[in-house]
Amino acid sequence: MQRLLLLGLNHTTAPLEVREKLAFGVRQRGEALASFAQRFPGCEAVLLSTCNRVELYIARQTHGRPRVEEMVEFLAEFHHMPAAAFKDHLYEKANQLVVEHLFTVTSSLDSMVLGETQILGQVRDAYDAACQAAAAGALLNPLFQRAIAVGKQVMHETALNEGRLSVASVAVDYARNIFEHFRDKTVLSIGAGKISQLVLQGFVGLSVGQLLVCNRDAQKAQDLAQKFNGRGVAFEKLAEHLVAADIVVTSTGAPHPIITRQLFDAIRRQRRYRPLFLIDIAVPRDVEPAVGEVEGVYLYNLDDLQQVVSTTQSQRRDAVAAAKAIIARHVGEFAAWNRQRELGPAIHRLYSRCHQIAQDELARTFNKLPGLVESEKAHLEDLARRIVNKLLHDPVQVLRQSDGMHTPATQYLHGLDKLFQLGGGDATEPPGNDGKAPGSDEPA
Amino acid sequence: MPDVPSAGQLALIFAAIAVFVVGEGLSLMRLRTERVAAAERDISGRRSENLRVLSKTCMSVGVLLCVGVLAWHGFARGTWRPLEDNFEALVSLAFLLTLFIAYTQRTHPLRGLDWFMMPIVVLLLLLAAVFGKTKPHAYLDTTWSLVHVSASFGGFVLFAIAGSVGGLYLYVNRRLRSKRLVPGQGFGSLERLEHLTLVSVTLGFALLTIGLITGLVRVLEPHGRNSLGPEWYRNPKVWLTFIAWCVYALVLHSPINPAFRGKRMAFLSVVGFVLMIGTFVAVQFMPGR
Repeated sequence: MQRLLLLGLNHTTAPLEVREKLAFGVRQRGEALASFAQRFPGCEAVLLSTCNRVELYIARQTHGRPRVEEMVEFLAEFHHMPAAAFKDHLYEKANQLVVEHLFTVTSSLDSMVLGETQILGQVRDAYDAACQAAAAGALLNPLFQRAIAVGKQVMHETALNEGRLSVASVAVDYARNIFEHFRDKTVLSIGAGKISQLVLQGFVGLSVGQLLVCNRDAQKAQDLAQKFNGRGVAFEKLAEHLVAADIVVTSTGAPHPIITRQLFDAIRRQRRYRPLFLIDIAVPRDVEPAVGEVEGVYLYNLDDLQQVVSTTQSQRRDAVAAAKAIIARHVGEFAAWNRQRELGPAIHRLYSRCHQIAQDELARTFNKLPGLVESEKAHLEDLARRIVNKLLHDPVQVLRQSDGMHTPATQYLHGLDKLFQLGGGDATEPPGNDGKAPGSDEPA
Repeated sequence: MPDVPSAGQLALIFAAIAVFVVGEGLSLMRLRTERVAAAERDISGRRSENLRVLSKTCMSVGVLLCVGVLAWHGFARGTWRPLEDNFEALVSLAFLLTLFIAYTQRTHPLRGLDWFMMPIVVLLLLLAAVFGKTKPHAYLDTTWSLVHVSASFGGFVLFAIAGSVGGLYLYVNRRLRSKRLVPGQGFGSLERLEHLTLVSVTLGFALLTIGLITGLVRVLEPHGRNSLGPEWYRNPKVWLTFIAWCVYALVLHSPINPAFRGKRMAFLSVVGFVLMIGTFVAVQFMPGR
């Protein structure tokens, strides 16, 4: 029987400084999954890393590895940092709570910005990466497929996504708190990510004087600049562009800050101490926090902007209730499916074993009673079958009604194995990669 | 005619002070209400709007009371010459500042300006009530004196505006830097506040310079009534005014020297105004005028 485990941290439990240290880039995620599979063979894993959360979902045999401590150790070793640096910010969940949490995440109820749809794509990416690394198997495959479906359903069937502020609009509002006119201002975008495009769109609406797009990939910069009637500029001349800029939107995937205090101190005089609005929406951050200490620099990161966005959540209380109802229904369905999945083979083995015993005893009896005609043998066979079925009916019903995602079912299964010597492969059966979404092909 | 305001005028002044204080309290409470509402995720803004209306009503009543005091005083005196006596000058200054607040809130709303300007208004009204004299100034009979007094009072009003806007700049700047400012609260952009400070200081500086020159002419007049005495240059009023003039001169350099822009400029405008208050107190309550 498989056990679901989740270990992670998010914007409510960990500050950005911790989250960015534990974040996984696209390449890192692949490496981490490969390393995880090598270290804990037979264990399924999906690694979700976004601006707001880092979560490791695993499915392993009930008494298998890794334990939570080993998962913490794995994260610490992968990022070459002491576990103590982030351990206090972690949360862990098991079995049905993992399902509920994941469905809540994909429905954006656990997001800082309620109703944001980006999380769905991020969960899908995490799942795809796990599939590519052959890390998702019989349990995580259907779980993530169902989670994505639940997220979509919540977005379509509730009003969660309506009337919310966006990070882009909040960034523009903050810019209005600093600048009065924008016709004489220069906006510089470093990186060409999705959110930075949205933010740029907001600034373009203010009719800014000049829009510069700077990216390591010059073609990408040019394409984005053209889209907003701006100018693509060379990444190598970043310092020069920073001198000209009044508003900087940065969202690169760089693992280290690209705008450092040293760089900024060097250009401050050239900037003639003009105010600078720095919007750092990258995780890990692109701008060294010390830059924000410089007088005249207003540095806002993703958390700062999302805090403001989250204040609009109260408008959608009804939508939240509706979303929670959808999630609860799907959690129940998934639990039922998983119960069937886990119990089906065990029940099948139990019936087979008992019927086999009955058949063996019947054969012995038939040998002792050679005068039995075929019709009498049939009667006896029917009798044995009915006795076995009646004897097993009640315990099997209790087993079916037990909560398959919680401890009782596990205990029952172990009890069955031991008492009836069913030879269930609990600890030996490796997870296959054959999981199917619940509802599509459920076991009988 | 006695040289102190009548009991009725004083009652009106204290009533104006009371409504201004209440209005100011409501305005500050509004900010707190918004913070609480934000924490409770309540974005209806109903409580905030109620407080805004109440605060505005208080200010309007206060303005009417000030007008009442000035009209009463004018009738009692029988003349309409502005700044003729100390009591009238103080109430007029308070009235002008309140009008400025009302004007900006109506045309280009600048939330929070009243937090910094109303205390000045209340202080002026208190000074008028406690120390105000209705005896006409003897020195208003020459053109130099009239220009000197008018320019100095005009400068004071503009520096009061610059100081208040500078204070607001420092407040908004601090909240922006500490990321505690909720956008859309209407405090005005830093750029606008800086511009308003610079304009006020520029005009105020021009008036103060005129006031200084005409004052100098007055004290140097061979047959003039120089109440500062032969050692006028040792008078604290002269020194304080000169220091304030130098501070404002620094502020005026901000377009040329960007090191003085932004926070420093706002800070200097506040310091300059504090010096101006010192000068004002010196003018009103020291023997040499």
